[in-house]
Amino acid sequence: MGQLVKAQGGQQPATKEEPVIQQFLTFDLQGEMFGINILPIKEIIEYGKITAVPMVPSYVRGVINLRGNVVPVIDLPVRFGWQSSAVNKRTCIVIIEVEHGDEAMDIGVVIDSVSEVLDIEEKDIGASPSFGAKIRTDFIAGMGRVHDDFIVLLNPSKVLSVEELADLQQMPQRQAADGGAEP
Amino acid sequence: MTDFMEQAQETFVNESLDLLQDMESSLNQLVDDPANDELINSVFRAAHTIKGSAGLFGQDAIVAFTHKVENVLDRVRDGEVAITAPLVEVLLECRDHIEVLIEALGEEPDPTLHQQGEALLAALMQQAGGDGAATAVESTTQLAQTDDSVVVSREEGPQVENDNWHISLRFHADVLRNGMDPLAFLRYLATLGEIVNVATLVDQMPNVEEMDPESCYLGMEVSFRSEADKQTIMDVFEFVMEDSSVVVLPPRSKLSEYTDLIETLSESEDERRLGELLVSVGALSTHELEKALSRQQLDQLQHPEQHPRLGEILVEQHAVDSNTVTAALKKQQAQHERKMKESRSIRVDAERLDQLINLVGELVIAGAGTGLKAQQLGDEDLLESVSLISRLVEEIRDRSLRLRMVQIGETFNRFNRVVRDVSKELGKSIKLVIEGADTELDKSVVEKIGDPLTHLVRNSIDHGIESAEERLAKGKPEQGTVTLNAYHDSGNIVIEVSDDGGGIDPDKVLAKARANGLVAPEQHLSRAEVLRLILEAGLSTKEAVSNLSGRGVGMDVVKRNVESLRGQIEVDSELGAGTSIRVRLPLTLSIIDGFLVGVGDASYVIPLDSVEECIEYEQLEKVRDHGGDYISLRGEVLPFLDLRTLFGERKDRDNRENIVVVRSGGAKAGLVVDELLGEYQTVIKPLSQIFSKLSGISGSTILGSGEVAMILEVNSLVSEAEQRTLHLS
Repeated sequence: MGQLVKAQGGQQPATKEEPVIQQFLTFDLQGEMFGINILPIKEIIEYGKITAVPMVPSYVRGVINLRGNVVPVIDLPVRFGWQSSAVNKRTCIVIIEVEHGDEAMDIGVVIDSVSEVLDIEEKDIGASPSFGAKIRTDFIAGMGRVHDDFIVLLNPSKVLSVEELADLQQMPQRQAADGGAEP
Repeated sequence: MTDFMEQAQETFVNESLDLLQDMESSLNQLVDDPANDELINSVFRAAHTIKGSAGLFGQDAIVAFTHKVENVLDRVRDGEVAITAPLVEVLLECRDHIEVLIEALGEEPDPTLHQQGEALLAALMQQAGGDGAATAVESTTQLAQTDDSVVVSREEGPQVENDNWHISLRFHADVLRNGMDPLAFLRYLATLGEIVNVATLVDQMPNVEEMDPESCYLGMEVSFRSEADKQTIMDVFEFVMEDSSVVVLPPRSKLSEYTDLIETLSESEDERRLGELLVSVGALSTHELEKALSRQQLDQLQHPEQHPRLGEILVEQHAVDSNTVTAALKKQQAQHERKMKESRSIRVDAERLDQLINLVGELVIAGAGTGLKAQQLGDEDLLESVSLISRLVEEIRDRSLRLRMVQIGETFNRFNRVVRDVSKELGKSIKLVIEGADTELDKSVVEKIGDPLTHLVRNSIDHGIESAEERLAKGKPEQGTVTLNAYHDSGNIVIEVSDDGGGIDPDKVLAKARANGLVAPEQHLSRAEVLRLILEAGLSTKEAVSNLSGRGVGMDVVKRNVESLRGQIEVDSELGAGTSIRVRLPLTLSIIDGFLVGVGDASYVIPLDSVEECIEYEQLEKVRDHGGDYISLRGEVLPFLDLRTLFGERKDRDNRENIVVVRSGGAKAGLVVDELLGEYQTVIKPLSQIFSKLSGISGSTILGSGEVAMILEVNSLVSEAEQRTLHLS
């Protein structure tokens, strides 16, 4: 590649001698490959019992008990505006630490299956396309080039933006208003 | 500064702020009860202790200012200056100034602060009487002079040819651990006079391997020139007096006193060496030392059994008169009492308490899990021991939660001041009535409720209570009343701020809200809804904006603060008769007793305090035919909410239905659920920030099975249902 494209991750530009390598956890979501920088990832757990939270938008799958802490779980496809995936044997939950104000908090995301951890050189990370991706542009941190294919590298602080997730505007209308119309 | 000193300074700041709090409440009470000596004493003690501790940290500005205040207080105590309202006023301002000084600790000295201090002192002197200024400044010297006269009148005897005080210090090993820096004492001492010479004793210092860096092994012999009296010098060491050895010998003391000093200290130290030390700091000449030691030996030969006690010698030598002895005795007693009080309460880091409570929470969850398993096994003995354990755990839970409970009275008392200040500023005569001061609530809640309450009280005074003329014209007593009340109600604590003022005119509020576009012109609102509008941003019915309130910001902040504590605000007002605002808060933010219900696949916890009773499905069948969401409960209309519909659960017709009757505010409501699962101890696990805007659910908990269950917030569930019904039309 003739030019260096700076990743949105905000790393120092690579020198020729020491290529800057970032590691990404890649996973499958309805046939598409995505990657998340491994730094904020705390653990990957099996998809187990999720307790639904009533009266919240559908992208909130529910909450789980993670060793005594109650952690919310986000349905990633729904967050992208897609249909929710069916749960299968390979479905799992990735626990990601996000910053909110001064606090760090854990949020889980449901994914279809984990693939591998890839080393991607910074020079192989391109800017996100202004259109054409299947998800919101600001969710994309960059495009990782691996074996002539592209992996969408997600920006967890946008995908899991606490302000946005907590926004009531996105909540569906409560169904209780028609509660009186019982058969 | 070392961490250690930092810690000690933090303790100093905390203690001083506590003392200032005491001082304020005593001062406030003094207005009504000027003759109460105990109150004056407590104000004096607070000032005195702050001065002393500030000296330890070399905070000269605080010492200098507090010293002058203390002088005036001392004269008040002696009955020279009478307690008047203006004097209390100035003393309160002085108290505030000390607080400002303490809070400014560690910052660059601010010259304006000093000027403010000077101005306050001038005002104080004016209140304390014309000659006050001179007396206050002179008082130290006067005291020193009286002491001199004692010295003069003492019996003749061989004296030491030395005009300096001699101070002998042997610090206790724990001095550093207790947060004191021996050097700080010397620094403070230096503010009282000139330290002529210091010899440090390092004899107690063990080998490096054995040395504990946190222990103090030092002793000091200090030669000190000062006009201060003995008490003042002794007071420098007040904080180490208890376990360290401090001997202060006045100038020109008798040789025998030095002998005694050597004798007392020689138990642990070589007396010859000690004597040499005294010589080295210039307290004694070599000749005097020789003489002293020989006298001492002689004494011992003559009266081997006699071991003269310091007190006896002092009296014998007329070094102290009987008045001083009585005063000292009194002081000793006061210190004893204070010690008793200290031993009754322990200062514990709130974080440690939180950790304990968290652990107890885990214990409760684990206990519930064990209980579940025991039940599955069905072993009688096991069940019995499990129930014993769970009873104990329950008790531990209650006790540990109570550790964090404080009475709201202290918070309420602060408002005496607010009411006085604000009503003075506005020229209104207002009295504050406090009720339910012994109602307890969690400290974490208390800390966060102060600001919203202050705002509500200010609002009541500024907006609520009318001017005196207006009140008289309306046939009300000239003095307005603001009432603060607290009580427990269905698992919540309710704090009520009410006034007997003009009340809120709903029409005015509505007109203003329409003008501001908060309410659409065609929108119809109930009376309660209109009153609630005053909690919205940008709405104030006060025509004139004062510097206290009326800008229409504030009430919405109050509302936000209260809601962030999972609380609610109710507004009740009658035009012409007054307004009362009720803040409803959860008692604690960590554990509640709950009632477990099943809705669809999930379990939910309803706070047990709000559950009234449960009604079964059969009864429901008959009454639901009318189609409305209400049933007749023993002749009363009971509106209900179907949680399955509300939570979007699939409705299984075969399921049995039950209604849990809950109390919300003053009214009853029903919640339709699938299953009643019984009482359950619930540790509240805070929900993630992403649920911060979700109302109707206050938190979550982990069941014995490891599953998560949501805790329902009954009040907001019901009030939102009410909102929806209102907007149906």
